[in-house]
This record gives sequence, C-alpha cells and structure tokens, in this order.
Amino acid sequence: MSKTRFVFVLLTLVSILAACAQPVTPPAEQPQQPAATEAPAQPAEAEPVKLVIWWWGEQEAPGAQQWLDETIAEYQKLHRNVTIEAVLQSTDSLIPAFQSAAAAQQGPDIQYFWGGVWTLEFAWSGALVPLDDLIPAEERAHYINNFERTYDGKLWGMGWYLSGNPMVYNPTLFEKAGIDLNDLPDTWDELIAACDKLNAIGVTPISGGLKDGWFGGWLFSILGRQNLDSEKDFMKASIGQAKFTDPAYAEWWERLNQLKEAKCWNADINSVDYQQGQDQFVQGKSAMIFGNDTFLKGWAEIIGWDNMGVMRVPKYGSGKLADTYVVTAQGLGITSWSQHKKEAADFLMFTHTPDRLNAWFKYTGVLPADDRFDTAQIDQPILKQIFEWVVQSSGPNLENFIPSMLDEQANFTGTQLLFAGDKTPAELAQLTEEVAQKWREQNPDQLQNFVNWYTK
Amino acid sequence: MSSSAARRYKLLRLLEPYLFLAPALIVIGLIFAFPIVRLVTLSFQRPFQGQLLFVGLTNYQTIFKDEVFLRAVRNNLTLLISVPIMVFIALILAIFLFDRIRGWQFYRTTLFLPYLLPITVVGLIFSYIFQLSGVLNDFLKVIGLERFILDWLGSTKLALPTLMFVIVWKEVGFGIVLFLARLMSVEEELFDAAKIDGANWWRLQWHITIPQLATTIEFFTIVSIITILSWVFGYVYVMTGGGPGNSTMVTELFIYLSGFRYNQMNIASAVSVILLLVTGIFIFLELRLRERSVTLEEMP
Repeated sequence: MSKTRFVFVLLTLVSILAACAQPVTPPAEQPQQPAATEAPAQPAEAEPVKLVIWWWGEQEAPGAQQWLDETIAEYQKLHRNVTIEAVLQSTDSLIPAFQSAAAAQQGPDIQYFWGGVWTLEFAWSGALVPLDDLIPAEERAHYINNFERTYDGKLWGMGWYLSGNPMVYNPTLFEKAGIDLNDLPDTWDELIAACDKLNAIGVTPISGGLKDGWFGGWLFSILGRQNLDSEKDFMKASIGQAKFTDPAYAEWWERLNQLKEAKCWNADINSVDYQQGQDQFVQGKSAMIFGNDTFLKGWAEIIGWDNMGVMRVPKYGSGKLADTYVVTAQGLGITSWSQHKKEAADFLMFTHTPDRLNAWFKYTGVLPADDRFDTAQIDQPILKQIFEWVVQSSGPNLENFIPSMLDEQANFTGTQLLFAGDKTPAELAQLTEEVAQKWREQNPDQLQNFVNWYTK
Repeated sequence: MSSSAARRYKLLRLLEPYLFLAPALIVIGLIFAFPIVRLVTLSFQRPFQGQLLFVGLTNYQTIFKDEVFLRAVRNNLTLLISVPIMVFIALILAIFLFDRIRGWQFYRTTLFLPYLLPITVVGLIFSYIFQLSGVLNDFLKVIGLERFILDWLGSTKLALPTLMFVIVWKEVGFGIVLFLARLMSVEEELFDAAKIDGANWWRLQWHITIPQLATTIEFFTIVSIITILSWVFGYVYVMTGGGPGNSTMVTELFIYLSGFRYNQMNIASAVSVILLLVTGIFIFLELRLRERSVTLEEMP
C-alpha cells in the first residue's frame, strides 16, 4: 500500500469513526448524597480510606504547606484508617489539571478553588457536590464569604482562608518624599500628588507586572468597583443587562490611564510578571503596590514590619463598593466522583477546628475563613488593621463574578494595551463590551448559568 | 486436501498479514485514532443544559469570527518568516563549518547547544534578557547606546519579532547539524573536480553544495514550518503569555486558553482540528519528500 493510500485510508477510518461516535456525555450526574455526615468510624473497625487533595496556596500564603502537613498528620492520628495525600498544584496547572480530572471523573477527593465563578463553573459542570448534606448548617454558618460559593441555595465549597487587597506602602520612602504618614492619600488626586513627590526623589511610586496577565484582573477588581454597589452589577453587565461602556463601568480605565500619565507606575510594567512587580516593592525599588494581605507576613520576614504600612485604595468613585476592602475566601470543594465524600467533609470540618484555625494563622499570618478564629492572636498592628477592614467593610473580589474569558481578554489584555499606549480608555471600555458580547454568543450554556446565578 | 479445507487455508493466508498487523493497529487506534475521533466529535458539539448537542459547523463559524483567533493565525503566519531566515543562517554556518574553519568542531557543538536546551529554560533566560530593565538594555546603556533601549517584550510592535529571534536562535542549530551531516556524506571528488576546473568559492556553493543539500533543505524547511505552526506554545507561554494585548497570541495558546481557561473545550477542539489538518498537510508533504529522496537515492 502506498503511503498516500495509507494516509487516505486512515483519514477515511477516522472520519467514519467520528461519524459513528456516540455523543460525548457530560460528567455523570451527581450521585445521591447521604442525609448527613456521620461520625467517622472507629479506627479498629473502619475500612481503609485514602483521600487525595489537590491544592494551591503555598504560593500566596507561605507556611500553608507546613500547616497542611501538620493538619494531615493530626487527622491521621485521630483516624488511623485514613490516609491523606496532598498534591500542591502550580498556579497555571490548578484549573487545567482539575478540568482533565473532571473530564475523566477521576482525580482528587478534595480540590482547591478560588471563589465565585472559579468554583461554580465546576458546580455547574457536575464536578462538585454541594456541602449542605455533608456539613451541618450550624458548622457552615461559621465559614466566611459563603456567598461566593452559593448557587441555587446550596453551598458548593468551604472557605479556607481570606485573601484581601490592601495598598501597601513603604513608610521610609513616603517620609523621604514628604508624604505625611498621618495623612495618607485617600483620594485620586492625592494619590497622583504622592506619585509626583515620589518621582521627584527618583522612586517609582507604584510597581506591578502585567506580562502574565493576572495583575490586570486585580486592577479591574480593585479599581473598577468604585462607581458600583455590588458584584451583581458586574454580573448584570456580563449577561448583557448593562453595558461595560456605561460611564460607571468604564471610568476605571480613565483613572488607570491617569496614573499611567502621571508616571505612577514602573516603566517595565508590561515586560515583568506579577510576582516581579510585587518584588520591586520588597526590594525597596517602589513605594507602593496593590498588594495581597496573604503575603504580608512573608514580606515582613524580609524587610520587617516597620518598613511596611497598609492603606485603603484611594477613592475616585462614590459607589458602595468604593468603600469596601476587597476580600475573597480561597476554598476547598468535594468532587462528585469521590468515593469518600463523608470522610472528605469530615476532614474539611477538622481544618476548621479552633486548634487548626489558630495554627493556620500562626504558620501563615493569614486570616482563616472562619469566625471562630481566636482574634486575640493578632498582635501585629498591620494585621489588626487588615482584620478590622475585613470585619467592617469587606467587599467582593470582582474577578470572581465575571466570566473568565472577559477577565482574560478584556482586563488582562486591556491593561497591557493601555500601558503599551495602543488603546485609549474609551477604546478599552468598548473592547470589554465586545468581549462580553462575544462570550454571550459563544457560550449560551455559561450565559444561562450566569443568568440563574444573577437572578437567584 | 478437501476443497473446504483449501478455502479455509486460503482465507487464513489472506488474513495472515492483517492478524500480524492487528496488535499494532489496535495500539495505534487507541493512541492516535481515538483521541482524533473524540476531538473531531467534540468540535461539532456544544454543551447546553448538561448535554452536549450536535451543532454542525457552528464552532468553526464562531472561531472564524473571533478576532483573537484570527490574530493568532496572523501571528503564526508572521512567524513563518523565520523559516527562510533559519534556513539561510543554518546554510551559511554549515558551509563555513564544512570549510573546516579553525575550531569548527567547537563551533559545531556550540551552535547545536541551544537546540538541546529545554524551551522553558530558553524562554526564561530570554525573558530576563529582553525585559525593559533586563540584561540587554543594561548592556546597551553601559556601551552608550541608550537610544536603542526598547521594551522588547512589553511593546506590541516588538514582542513578536523578539519571540521570532529566540525561536531562530534555538532552532537553527538543528538545521546546521542536518546540513553538515549531509555535506559530510558528499563525495570529496565533486569539490576537487570543480576546484581543478577553476570554480571559485561561490561557484562551488552554488553548483555543488546547494544542489547536494536540496532535499535536506526541503526537509528542514518543512519541519521548521511544522514547528512554527504547532510547536511554539512553549516559547509564547513562557516569554509573553500571548501578550501584550494578544500581540504574540498563537493558535496553540488560543487552544489552551479556550479549553482550560474559558471552559470552551468544543471551541478548542475545532481550532485543534484545523491546526491538525494544516499541520497534516505539511506532514504529508514531508512524507512525500522522503519518499522522493529515497527514490532518488535508489536511482542508478
């Protein structure tokens, strides 16, 4: 058989097989859930159980690995029939690896998720089970930020720890530039004035890195919120009931451009990634960052608490969200294919026992997503301040309430285009609206889920 | 032997080669055919309310209206410019090495080394070199060439050419080694005879080296085209992530983002099918070429 003929026959075979193939069905229906979580069986009588956890978090909460290792060891001591294997995922593999697992209906029993849509997309696809039948309501009520994971009246994951976005500044550089530490910038004009002062002494006012895209999403979440009242406003625009070109939604592009024009940012923002941008602050090269409070303890170990201060993001808008501190609860969920859902739920509850909550804070300096955490442990003034903001004025992380395509193709891409000088703020607002429209056209199923999420 | 036994024997003889082939075909079927079938099937479906519905060519129509996909295709085509550049550089360097310039063995190893390095390592190193505050710009500053300091990866106009440079830098070593290996198998008499006839260096290359390398050049060209169309993900992912502003988006990255970031596995499948077909054409060409070169070699 000549090669040409062989290739032809192979292609024909493939076409025939494709035509005959059964329609691929989505992941199996969620299995029936037990009525309630039972107490774990006694070690002597119990069947061996192996739980697998795929997690992420050491990357943003250094010390998490140590805590998880200890927690697993303690749990295994109490439940001798249970073995727990924890697999740390990288930022880039977290979602793809789980998607592959969901497609194969094989993989972890417990999976780490970011909040909002990052969790619910997997609930919608049937990869997750609701926790309502596995964890008692009284217990669930203690978890913080449950609203991020609630859909159709059910809770699809458990908050693990809180991740918020303060503006972090270097007090030494502020003083050197003549910025009063008792009168920190709290309006947009004051922020721009602070940039001028810092530039005058040769210090980069704010640093960031857009190359890998993620920081563009942060900027949207931190700055794009100020004219609006709730995350629902952004869901509304995503589903087409409002427009991202409306001034309330579009103004942040203009405000970001003002910071760019005022030379508030590091010149290499487009050619460095998120982490490198944050590192510039730690290295003393920049005076401010739009930071993450989960990193504070780690940074303090390098530069000392005295060389850091936290402040709220200066305001330009008057929406209710302008006064909120961005907080999301990073969390864990139980997979629909797990053979040990009860045991998985029991382990999740164990992670929220007082001893484990306190240990979490001790190892990471990050607030756990549970109101039973002993706040007397917070003795560091900066962390006290963070806690106060979380309690008094926490608000949603907006990236969790828009489609991921919109985040990537409008926010990630748009911020890069703005700093490259290729698009104006008005053009970027238009781009956002076009991407939202494209997402609606391409994803009728996801759109329906968003509509349900928005309306229910 | 009865007639029925003879028939059975004949049938068995007829089936024999296929029975021998069966295990290999089953393995090939499982490893290649099944994923392709699944991919093609997915490309004609879309999820809706928990079901995957057959939607005909909708996914294909969708992607051809998607500006980001079209940008990715344009970028892949632009990157094809690097193919003649790679061929030219590899050819020149192979000729110099074949001339056994002083230290040619050292140069041969050095020039091949980048090809052996993992793409992620190359990508990371060049990311640091080409950052605005990176090694290259620092060097330009030191030697007083500040006006050439550019945002190599952060500018939408420069990011793709910068990426192209890195691809050429890494891939050209393969071409050099291929060409050199072929040249070393050319009979010395050919060159000697031409020299006796008074051929200068240029004529030697034009009338002997290049014709002798013709099939190898064709092979390297096609392999490089396939590389540019379907093997540049690593470079793009590590160095630019497709940015800034989609200026380095390529089809492979588009597939990855659609499938794993936007949860659009069916759109990703449709693009994969297109990429597979286009790459398939070049693989087919390459097979034909090999067939031809074998035929030529067998000619008396």
